[in-house]
Amino acid sequence: MLHPLTTLASQPNVALDQYLPLAVIIVGAVGFAVANIVLTKIIGPSRRGANKGMSYESGMNPVGTARKRFNVRFYLIAMVFLVFDVEIIFLYPWATTFPNLDPANPDAGIWLFRIFFFLFTTIVAYVYGFRKGVFNFD
Amino acid sequence: MSSLLVLLAPEIVLFITTCIVMIVGLWPKLEVRSLAMPIAGMGLLIAGVLAINTPANPESILPNIIPYAKAMTAGVGLLLVLLLAGTVDRSYEAAVERGELRFNPIHTNRAEFFAFFLFSLTGLMLCASATDLIWLFLALELVSLPTYVMATISTRKLRSQEAGVKYFFLGALGAAIFLYGFALLYGGTGTTNLIGIRDALAEQAASGGINPIAMAGIILSLIGISFKIAAVPMHFYTADVYQGAAAPVSAMLAFVPKTAGFIAMMGILAAVGWQYAPGGETLAADGVGTLPRSIYVTLAAIAVLTMTVGNVLALLQRSIKRLLAYSSIAHTGYMLVALIAGPSIAAEAGITSNGLGAVLFYLLVYGVTNIGTFAVVACLERPQPDGEADELDDLEDLRGLCRTRPVLGWVMVICALGLLGLPPLLGFWAKFLLFTSAISAGEIALVVILGLNSAIAAFYYLKLVTLPLLEEPEGDAPATTPFASRTFAGVLSAALVLLAIIPTGIVDAAMEAADRAGTIVPANIEAIERSITAEALRDEPTPIIDR
Amino acid sequence: MSESILHVLILLPIATAAFIVARPAGEAKTVALWGSLISLVLGVVAAFQFDWSNAGAMQPEVSLVPWLPALGLSISVGADGVSMMLVLLTLLLGPICVAASFSSIKHRVKTYYAWLTVLQAAMVGVFVARDILLFYVCFEFTLIPMFVLISIYGSSNRKAAATKFFLYTFTGSILALAGLIYVIWFNATRMPVEAFAGAGEWSFQIDTLRQAAVRMSPTEQGWVFAAMLLGFAVKVPLFPVHTWLPLAHTEAPTAGSVILAGVLLKLGTYGLYRFAIPFTPIAAVDFAPFIGLLAVIGIVFAGLICWVQDDVKKLVAYSSVSHLGFCVLGLFALNTMGQSGSVMYMINHGLSTGALFLLIGMVYERYHTRSMRELGGLAAKMPVWSFFMVFFVMASAGLPGLNGFISEFMCLMGTFQASDTLAGSSIGATPGVLGPVFAILAGTGVVIGAMYLLMMTGKMVWGPLREPKGHDHHNHSELADDLNAREIAVLTPLAVLCLVLGLFPTPVLKGIEAPVNDTVRWVQEHGGLRLYRDPAPARVTELSPAGVVTPELAAPAAGGER
Repeated sequence: MLHPLTTLASQPNVALDQYLPLAVIIVGAVGFAVANIVLTKIIGPSRRGANKGMSYESGMNPVGTARKRFNVRFYLIAMVFLVFDVEIIFLYPWATTFPNLDPANPDAGIWLFRIFFFLFTTIVAYVYGFRKGVFNFD
Repeated sequence: MSSLLVLLAPEIVLFITTCIVMIVGLWPKLEVRSLAMPIAGMGLLIAGVLAINTPANPESILPNIIPYAKAMTAGVGLLLVLLLAGTVDRSYEAAVERGELRFNPIHTNRAEFFAFFLFSLTGLMLCASATDLIWLFLALELVSLPTYVMATISTRKLRSQEAGVKYFFLGALGAAIFLYGFALLYGGTGTTNLIGIRDALAEQAASGGINPIAMAGIILSLIGISFKIAAVPMHFYTADVYQGAAAPVSAMLAFVPKTAGFIAMMGILAAVGWQYAPGGETLAADGVGTLPRSIYVTLAAIAVLTMTVGNVLALLQRSIKRLLAYSSIAHTGYMLVALIAGPSIAAEAGITSNGLGAVLFYLLVYGVTNIGTFAVVACLERPQPDGEADELDDLEDLRGLCRTRPVLGWVMVICALGLLGLPPLLGFWAKFLLFTSAISAGEIALVVILGLNSAIAAFYYLKLVTLPLLEEPEGDAPATTPFASRTFAGVLSAALVLLAIIPTGIVDAAMEAADRAGTIVPANIEAIERSITAEALRDEPTPIIDR
Repeated sequence: MSESILHVLILLPIATAAFIVARPAGEAKTVALWGSLISLVLGVVAAFQFDWSNAGAMQPEVSLVPWLPALGLSISVGADGVSMMLVLLTLLLGPICVAASFSSIKHRVKTYYAWLTVLQAAMVGVFVARDILLFYVCFEFTLIPMFVLISIYGSSNRKAAATKFFLYTFTGSILALAGLIYVIWFNATRMPVEAFAGAGEWSFQIDTLRQAAVRMSPTEQGWVFAAMLLGFAVKVPLFPVHTWLPLAHTEAPTAGSVILAGVLLKLGTYGLYRFAIPFTPIAAVDFAPFIGLLAVIGIVFAGLICWVQDDVKKLVAYSSVSHLGFCVLGLFALNTMGQSGSVMYMINHGLSTGALFLLIGMVYERYHTRSMRELGGLAAKMPVWSFFMVFFVMASAGLPGLNGFISEFMCLMGTFQASDTLAGSSIGATPGVLGPVFAILAGTGVVIGAMYLLMMTGKMVWGPLREPKGHDHHNHSELADDLNAREIAVLTPLAVLCLVLGLFPTPVLKGIEAPVNDTVRWVQEHGGLRLYRDPAPARVTELSPAGVVTPELAAPAAGGER
């Protein structure tokens, strides 16, 4: 069975009208954004002044500089979290294919191998992080 | 499925080795963490042996390339591992040994360095097994991403960080361009499978010409990938990055991404096929021809500019690494000529007329020879007070090297002559195959430009020969690194360059690897026949059909 | 002649070089001398084994040692009369060069003799190659030893000279390689298998490829010829690509100059003779007037430059350019007279110019100058040297009775006859495209040559004694005032050969006649050369020394499948 785009592609001289919905959506999206900005400029009230320009209009005075150095370990933790978080996400789709592990299925071993391989990489990453000392917060 | 696992066995071995190296390299005990490099070497060795015995993959666009490409990766990888010894953590480990510091894995780079190296090689092997655009893209990125980090951490100097950042941003630009190209190619053909793309393109070509979207996709992909192979529109990073990174890493950068890029280009071009009428966008009547005109013009322009720019700029360099970087650009240009020539699919073609085989052989020869020259730079150093040594990178530092450091001097002389392609060294046979394949394809103009460029190249390679061999040394002998394996890598590659008897088997393997790539597939034959019959029908008077 | 003796002639110098490297520096020159003497003896043995009655054929008939089976490559060697002569010349100059360097080379002795012997292997390889790639590999490899010899052991400007030498030759030969590969490809893909033995295969055999090459269309032949011409003309050197030669000669050490003039330049003319002319006869005929013009310009122009030289070595170097012009002229006369004269010239020039360079080197060792303003009247102080100098100058200038005369005369005669102009006259005409105009113009070169050589001799040898200011050679050199026994021993064989070849050149001429005849016949057949003006074609056969002129010549055989 041919992919729908293939039929398009094999007729190079046909106009791109099949992409029309896409174009409409793009135009709509851009139009919406532009319209919002323009309308706010035109309709919205605009006042200026010292108080209006403060970070917290509610009246709290900002103290010190906004640029502050964080301990680099925050980033390490954040990255480790991201890695494991993403890996967990990948476990969900595998769970939906659970019926493939039926012993009657000749490919069951491969299905099991796949997830074990994936878990293996996760464990390696964990051991690496552990050895590297990213979990020591001293 | 399981057959795919067999095909990917070398990659799997490399990946597992990577995992082991990543953890072993962080071990608190010095004896254990020093094992990172030998383990990496062992992994490459096993992967190489497995690779040689890998069967052909009929589902791949380059069905026979796997054994050769992967074995080449493993072989050159072994030389590189020897060369990479001691690149990172040198002053830190020295301080730990003196007892000034307590070992803290978070301050070391050894594990990551070797792991990333193996990752990059894994990516290269995956490139060779790619059957799909997405796979190809991921493999290409797996090749490149680790190299950005390796360039950055290879020395503790600012120049390496600068090099890494430059390399990363331009690499990201290149990746964006060829990803966009891949996307357009998908849009134009409706599939990401390379064989599917081949059939779709043949179908389009037979019925009125390749879809412009697909054509734009192919050209963008080629231009994007030219970043990986350091070809002209995307070559700007080369000299700075090679100079900024430590010499062993530069040697790796000159081989791994280049090879990956060429294999990717071969895959894409094999999907297009060298069967178009010369100077046109339609299929040649007998199926034997060249690339479609727009691709041909693009590639030919890139090839000519790459050769010329690389060679001319190399003439001006004072730094050995910059000189070698520009020479690497020039070699890319030479190989592009054979890539344009393509696999000769004419019936009477002999072994010497397969351009893809020539490229594969050239890549190996270039990789080996280049490691020799970079090994010399990697071995010479100027000790610094902080324990990190500075590489001797100026051409003047080679003065009289054959007398002060005979082994290194001769390695440089032999490898420089090998890069020049002087008979009877290995480089000559590689260049000879480029010549024969390009002449077989009728690319006389490109061959003449190639020849002239080889002559220009003689200018600067002669500097690398005369300075060590003929000049008298000035002052004391330059200091060398304590890492004997680097010298060993250099000697090994020089020995390979000298052994011109060896290529017999390798040339065979390279040619076999390129065999059946881009040959006319049954689908194309049908398409061609259909277009011919359609032509014939058009000429006949329209039959009156009773509706 | 057996195949193995030719292999030994290539391998023995390499083994000698390895031995030199392995032994202490003090023994280097002895080892080199013995090695080259053994090579020479073997060469003489080969010459005796050679079947001179069948000199036109390659001997041994078949020679195949597999080399790179993947590329279908084998090493195949063999020699016909021309190759054999040039091999003998190379082998003769070997021990002479080694012995001539005994006193002048003092530092890095091992390197010097090792490269000198390796160079000999490469040169022999060029002459005995029957396989294009072996030829090319050896041809290119001669660059490295020569490059090293010039740039380590030369005089002050040696590096520039060596680089220029390398780049000129390398550039030319890369393009020549492209031309040769085109022929290989043409044979493999455009030739029907049944056309001749080896057609339609990836063959590198010169004989096979010659068959294929002549079947190329005239346009293809033109391009291939141009590519080969670029490669070989640089080596010859032909005007205007001769500029590297004077520089290389003046900077090279004595033995380097001798090898350069004696053998390396002949690689160019040999390449023209073996490849350019027989491979692409149509183009050779078309281009011949153009090349003849370049040769004549070279002869006259270089001769005039010689006249104003002060540096005596440079003078001899430019005289080489001039002399090799005759050689090329003779080759492109495309008749037996011209071509055998040209091959003869290759040998004679190697002997006499080689000797001149040796003589100049001997003076230079004593006085450390080559300027004719500082040197003069040496006959008073160095009578033996002066004797040899006058002798070899005469040989070089072409005095009848010495070797230069016969070859110069044959080249000019061949050129003279090589056109229709004199058809039917008593001088005779042969199919060719040069003719009396070229011969007369080149003849002025002979006169100029005699003038500058005699002028040089006059200044150097006769007149009042002039030595460089403040010269007391005992401070500089341990050499005697006049030549010592070693130097005389080096020069004597050359002098004897010059005399013998001058008085009795017949054996050599006979040896080269058969192969040259084959080449000439081949070119006439495939180049469409014949006499056009002659009203009675039957007489052509009598007139032309080359003999065979068949009626169907005008059409090149079965070419142009493309």
